[in-house]
Amino acid sequence: MTKKEIFINSAFKENSVWRQILGICSALAVTNLMLNSLILGLGVIFTLALANFTISLIRNWTPRSVRMMIQTLIIASYVIIVDIFLKANMPEISKQLGPYVGLIITNCILMGRAEAFASQNKPWDSLIDGIGAGLGYTLVLIVISFIRELFGFGTIFGFQVLGDWWISWSIMVMAPSAFFLLALLIWAVNTYYYKAKA
Amino acid sequence: MKDSFWYPIVFMLIMVIIFAGILSVMYRFSAEKIEALQRDSYQQAILGTLAKAIAEAEGSTMEEILAQYPDSYQEYIHEQSVTGFERKIYIAEVDGDVVAYCFEIHGKGLWGSMQALISTSIDLRTILDFDIVNQHETPGLGARIEEDWFLGQFRDRLFVINPDSEEDVSGSYEFIAETQTPENDQQLRRVTGATITSDSVIKMLRDEINYIYNYFRNNEL
Repeated sequence: MTKKEIFINSAFKENSVWRQILGICSALAVTNLMLNSLILGLGVIFTLALANFTISLIRNWTPRSVRMMIQTLIIASYVIIVDIFLKANMPEISKQLGPYVGLIITNCILMGRAEAFASQNKPWDSLIDGIGAGLGYTLVLIVISFIRELFGFGTIFGFQVLGDWWISWSIMVMAPSAFFLLALLIWAVNTYYYKAKA
Repeated sequence: MKDSFWYPIVFMLIMVIIFAGILSVMYRFSAEKIEALQRDSYQQAILGTLAKAIAEAEGSTMEEILAQYPDSYQEYIHEQSVTGFERKIYIAEVDGDVVAYCFEIHGKGLWGSMQALISTSIDLRTILDFDIVNQHETPGLGARIEEDWFLGQFRDRLFVINPDSEEDVSGSYEFIAETQTPENDQQLRRVTGATITSDSVIKMLRDEINYIYNYFRNNEL
């Protein structure tokens, strides 16, 4: 596969959320505000890309019996680096994201891409795969959070776009709406992309 | 070689040393900056809760007091400890006169502890301002208790109704939905999707004001 194909594959064709149903917990949790979704998405892109690159770089020396421990160690280290960086340089954003930066460690997309791609492919291909998978995940977060924030608060990225006449839909702020929207998104992608293509 | 007994152990050990080393170095170089940012942020929060009282006594504006940080903090605010009282106390003084108090208070939220600052009038009965400095609530839901519209509801609130009674020290405040408009002064808007967190905030305020007020009825501040 060319690098472009790797990127398109990981970001869209084999999107971690709508195709592989990974990373659902955070997709449900943070998506009532677009800013939180964007920042978490950027954190995941950074961690995923560098973790993939590092795991791929040492793949020929990594013993199979301890590979998952090594992958967890690398992912956790990059997450802590993101956490320290945000605390030292963007304290407000760090405060807003609260526990979610640390929880990137538990995002199944990271272990999924490490196992499925990075441990078997070259470093630069793995880096691109990581960026693509991270962007695909961020795209889903942004789409869902756009709908939830708009109908739930009448805002986009915190800016009021719907006037006083708008009565906010409380359900959109709460977790159940993320379930409905995610299910609708998966249905729409399956119907209009995968089945149409088949 | 990769199949030998010792190889995975040695490899794992080397990787742990490398990554722990990188993190230690990064933390060592950032720790001072992080501590300074956290200290500034905390002091600014204290100043923020006391700024209105200072500005009124000083004849200036809140914005001016806040803009002059850290000088204004050094000039007007000092920390005081009272033996046996288990909260941090910050006193705002203008020309030698106490204009307000600020207390660090604690409570329990849905997921963990909450740390907040309240500034009170000199008689300790009214909350002048309120700020949450640390909480572990759900981002986008409970964490919205830090938003200004929510915090602002507690400004200039009389919490100690009857100063002669040890029991009746909390207001009869009740929560209504975020989307509703309060019909009287006793109604406060809760954060949508965060009922427990909203209730925890008011419980923390009631408990802490109760404790502070009753403590200083019998002890000097």
